[in-house]
Order: sequence, then structure tokens, then C-alpha cells
Amino acid sequence: MKNGPLFLLGLLVTIAISFVGVVIGSHAQLGNLVPFYDDAEGQAFPQRPSGIAARGQLVYGDLGCASCHTQQVRRPDFGSDQARGWGDRQSVARDYIHQSRPQLGASRLGPDLKNFGARNPVVASELDILNLLFSGSARHPAYPFLFETRKVAGEVSAGSFLPAGKTLQSGFELVATERGRSLAAYLLSLTSGYDYPESKPVVLSKKVEGVK
Amino acid sequence: MTTASTHAASAEVTPIDRQARGPLLLLLVLGVLWLVPSGIFALLASVQLHSPQFLTDCAWLTHGRLEALQETAFLYGWAANVGLAIALWVLARLGGYPLRALNWTVAGAIFWNLGLVGGLVGIATGDMTTFSFFQLPRYVQPLMVLAYAAMAISGVLAWSGRRTDSTFAAHWYAVAALFLFPWMFLATEVVLIWLPVRGTVQAIAAGWYAQGVWTLWLAPLALAGCYYIIPKVSGRVLSSYESAPLGFWCLLSVGAWTGGRHLIGGPVPAWIATMAVVTSALMLFHYLVVALNFRGVASAPGTGATFIRFGVSAYLLVGLLEVLTSFRAVALHTQFTFIATAQTQLGYYGAISMMFFGAVYYLVPRLAGRAWSSAGLVAGHRGLVMLGVVGSVAGLALAGFTQGAGLLQATVSQGSIFEGMRLPLLLNTCAQATLLVANLLLVVNLIRTIATCCTTVDAAAGLFRPAMNLEAPAL
Repeated sequence: MKNGPLFLLGLLVTIAISFVGVVIGSHAQLGNLVPFYDDAEGQAFPQRPSGIAARGQLVYGDLGCASCHTQQVRRPDFGSDQARGWGDRQSVARDYIHQSRPQLGASRLGPDLKNFGARNPVVASELDILNLLFSGSARHPAYPFLFETRKVAGEVSAGSFLPAGKTLQSGFELVATERGRSLAAYLLSLTSGYDYPESKPVVLSKKVEGVK
Repeated sequence: MTTASTHAASAEVTPIDRQARGPLLLLLVLGVLWLVPSGIFALLASVQLHSPQFLTDCAWLTHGRLEALQETAFLYGWAANVGLAIALWVLARLGGYPLRALNWTVAGAIFWNLGLVGGLVGIATGDMTTFSFFQLPRYVQPLMVLAYAAMAISGVLAWSGRRTDSTFAAHWYAVAALFLFPWMFLATEVVLIWLPVRGTVQAIAAGWYAQGVWTLWLAPLALAGCYYIIPKVSGRVLSSYESAPLGFWCLLSVGAWTGGRHLIGGPVPAWIATMAVVTSALMLFHYLVVALNFRGVASAPGTGATFIRFGVSAYLLVGLLEVLTSFRAVALHTQFTFIATAQTQLGYYGAISMMFFGAVYYLVPRLAGRAWSSAGLVAGHRGLVMLGVVGSVAGLALAGFTQGAGLLQATVSQGSIFEGMRLPLLLNTCAQATLLVANLLLVVNLIRTIATCCTTVDAAAGLFRPAMNLEAPAL
């Protein structure tokens, strides 16, 4: 390693090989995934998120929700994801192609949210989400900064709500801010209901692992 | 007991050290100072784990942002500044000439740390990238790369203009870390920020970067210090040194492939995880070489050696745990739990930071030309920081076992998992508080040492004789 330029070149080659192998390699494999067109239903999946849900993903990201919630359901025989009602099938790469910045997450202090909008058996309503975000719970922090108390101008707003145990001055209402509403809309938009060919639950005779 | 590590006899302070004093002490002080905000963020985030309602009223204190703030301040504040100081000093000493282009280092250090402050403000206000270990907002990233390159110039010059033709292991690791970080950072920036790849490939790229921070940047910086300091403090040549080049190239070429073990069972190609199993096992060779080379530190005296001994042991343990948790059957229990957090804590605090502390205790007396101002503070820091690391790793690991076992059984509700983790997470909070106190002791001691060195500049270097009663006990 006396030869300086050769040494630096060697270093560069090692980092380049791992970058090309890991990042460019998986990009070559997954980068061209397109939505799956279902002839029977006459539409393609996954569907693009609505504008408000796409904005909600930015809120989800900038508040760092991913530090306690994952968004990746594992296959039924790998962990208890299915039994917990988090999703009946594993998440596959195609689920994420419309997300500008997928939030896979690495910690399950809270539940997985990949299929939050289509939970089995009960789907949370927008009001449930807003209540949790405003008041928190024993295990979930409260985010009062996503809400505002404002004077009722004319009629009470459609989106106003009153969490249990909270009293407001008369003439005032509690509403979620634009960020709060986007976040709730985003969470409800998280569904992986459609079964792609590659995401069918494991069949014992033909074991599928990961994404093909 | 010798005076090797906390004291520098005047003969040991070379003109090379004296000339590099200002810039390198600047880097060291900045790095150690960053431990304070990073420790505060860590403490607050840790409290939130068992008391979720703690300080969530304002948006910048949500758990996610605190975690991002903590890891960013820790990696790019503490580890980067101190690691660079160690690498530059090692390269200067081995090169045999005083460092050149030090004004570039100073300018780079100033812009690096200003950029980091800007980045932390950005994270607090919601501009983080959401990629773990790569959270710095996009608008400070180019500045960080340029500042890093400016700081690294003098190291590369010291290496290319070295007095002897032959090179030493500390050379390779230091040059690799200086040279590779900007490439790695830029490549990641391109595929995640400028021309983002699609869907889950982003998670793979972010995983590659996060693994690279460990294997291509911080581990080489820490090992560079160890390869230089261990023969000095143990007074012996490195054992099995002939295998060191293989260990080096093993880390560099194989290490970055192991990041996929965090994506086991996830929506990524299965070969990502398989590759991680294979490469993690291959990496055992690197850890074996490190263990063989650093055997001498086991019996070396002094504070620096004590830290390095702790750090090297933790480093080897991390290597074993990486292999273990890369297997699918084990990952089924450990993935998404605090066991992964405990491993990170063991790696970045137990291994990297402890090796850095060892180097700091060895470097500062030589740069400042005088002994550490308080042996009591040295001993206090050493005791508390070890207690803190062991406590936090143990707390997180215990919480992780409860969590892993609970998550596997669908009948165990998340509420009861949470209750089961409360006690170990409280232990982690106590440990984080201990770490913060410990590092405050180091800050005070470092500032006092430098303040006295600056008032009695070179006279001290010439007149100083180590006094045994100032010596911090080795254990």
C-alpha cells in the first residue's frame, strides 16, 4: 500500500462495488415496477394517494412517526403480523411505488400502520385518529400542536370535535389544523387490500420468500 | 503503572504536536461539546419511551425529531469532529512532518459545525430527510461535504508527503475514513435527495449509507487511533500484524454489504437479506484480525488503554451480534425491537465512542503539552461513562427481549408489552443521565486543561515533569 494513487483507487473501487451491488442492483430490479392492471376490476393498483394523503405523508415524515411505527407487514408465517390484524398479506415493493418517501420504519414500539386504513376487524375512524392525536393515551403522545381552538364564526365547522373530558368556552370550537387533517387522511389512506400476484400469502407447496 | 496515557512527558511532545495544537484542540473541544446537546436529546427521548406524554406539547420535541436530533448531534458533532482530530494527528505523527494546510482544517471545522447547527435547527422545525443516520436537511448537505473535504485535505497531504515510504495500519484506516466519507455521502445524496430512487429502493440505499457510516467511516477512524496508540501504551509491537492488511480490506470491501440485515422479511428483494447473512459472517474475519492485533491492550496500563480495552471488547461483541441477528430465525425475535437499539448503542457508544475517549485521553496531554488538569475528573468520567454504557445497553436489551417475545405472540397486547418494558426503559433513562453527567465532567476537565495550557504555553511543555500523585489510576 505504498503506492498512494493505487491505494485510493482501491478504496474507491471497494465502495463503488458495494454501492453498485446493493443500491444500483436493487434499483435495476425494482426501479421499473409499474402498477398492476387488473382486467376484472378495470383499474390499476396501487392507486395514487389523494393530494391530502400525500401531504399527510410529509407530516408523518417530519414528525418522525417512523421512529415508533413500521409500515411493513411481514408474511403470515414470519411473526404475528397477520394474527394482530395488521394485514393479511406481506407488504411488497409494488405497494410503495407511488410514495415519494416510503416510511418503512425500524421500530415497533407502536403497531404497524401499513394497512391502517383497512384494519381487520375494526377500521379506526377519522374521529378516533383525531382524538388520539389530540389527547394521546397511556402509550401514545398527544400532539396538541396539530389542533387549534378558534372562535365559531357563523356555524360550527364540520370538522370540529370535542374529546372526552375536554371543555371549551362557549362560542369556541376545536378543529384539526390542515396538518392534522392531512395526517389523519394519510393514515386512513394506508391500505394494502389488493393482492398482487407476487404478494399472495404463502402456499405451502410453493414457498415464496421476499419479493420476486 | 506508567505515565503513558494521561501524562505527556516533555520529550513526548514533538514539534508536530505543538504545531497542530490549535486546530486539533479546536476539533476535540467542539466534538466533546457536542456530547452535551446530544446527551440532553438522548435523555429526553429516553424519558419519552416510558412516559409518552413527556414534553410533546411542541412539535420540535416529538420523539421522532428528538431521536433525529440526538443521532445527528452524536454522529456529525461528537464522532465526526473527534474522529477527524484523531485521524489528522495520527497521520501527522506517522508522516513525520508537521501538518500542512491547517487553515483549511480550521475553516472546514467552523463550517462543518455551523452547518450542523443549521441542520439541527432544520430537523427541529421538520426538515429532516427521515432516513436514519442521514437526517441532515438537504440544504446543509452540500456544505457538510465541502467542509469535510476541507478538513480532510491536511490529512491526505500528510499521508502523501510522508517521510518514509512504507505505511502502517493506522495510515490505511485514517486515509480510508477521510477519503471515503465524502464519496459515500454524495452517492447517497444523489440517490435519495437529488434523483430519488423509487419506493423501497430508498430504504435499501439508506441502509447502505447507515452501514457505511459504521464500516467505512467511524470504525476506520476509531481503529486508526487504536492501531497507533495501542503499541505505544502497551510498549509492545502489535501481535499478528501481518494479517492487518487482510483485516483492513475485509472491512472495506465486505462491510457495506451487511446493511440489509435490518430489512429481513421486508418489501425488498430476498437477496438483500441473504447477502447480509453471508457478508456478516465474512466480517468475522475482520473482527478476528482486530482481536489478534489488539491483544496487547489487555494488559496495558493507563486511562487511555482502559477506554480502548472497553471499546475494542465492545467492537468485537458487536461483530458477533451482527452475525447472530442477521439470521432470519433470530431476526424474527429481534427485528423492530429495542434489541436493535441496544446494538446500536453498544456499537456507537460502547465501541466507537470508548475508543475515541481513549484516544482523547492520550492525545490531549500531547497536544496541550501538559497533563489533564484533574485526575479526579478523569476517574469520574471513566467510571460514570462505563456505568452509563453498560446500563443503557442492558436496559435496552432487556426491554428488547420483553418486546420481542411479546410481539411474537398475537395474544399479548401492545399495552402489556409496553408495561413490561417500563422498568428496563427506566434503567436506560438513568443510564442516559449518567452518561450526560459523565460527559459534563469531561467537558470541564478538557476546558480547564486547555485553559491552563494556553496561559503557560510552551514553558509548560518544556518544564513539565509528570508527577505521580496526579496520575489517574488505571482501573
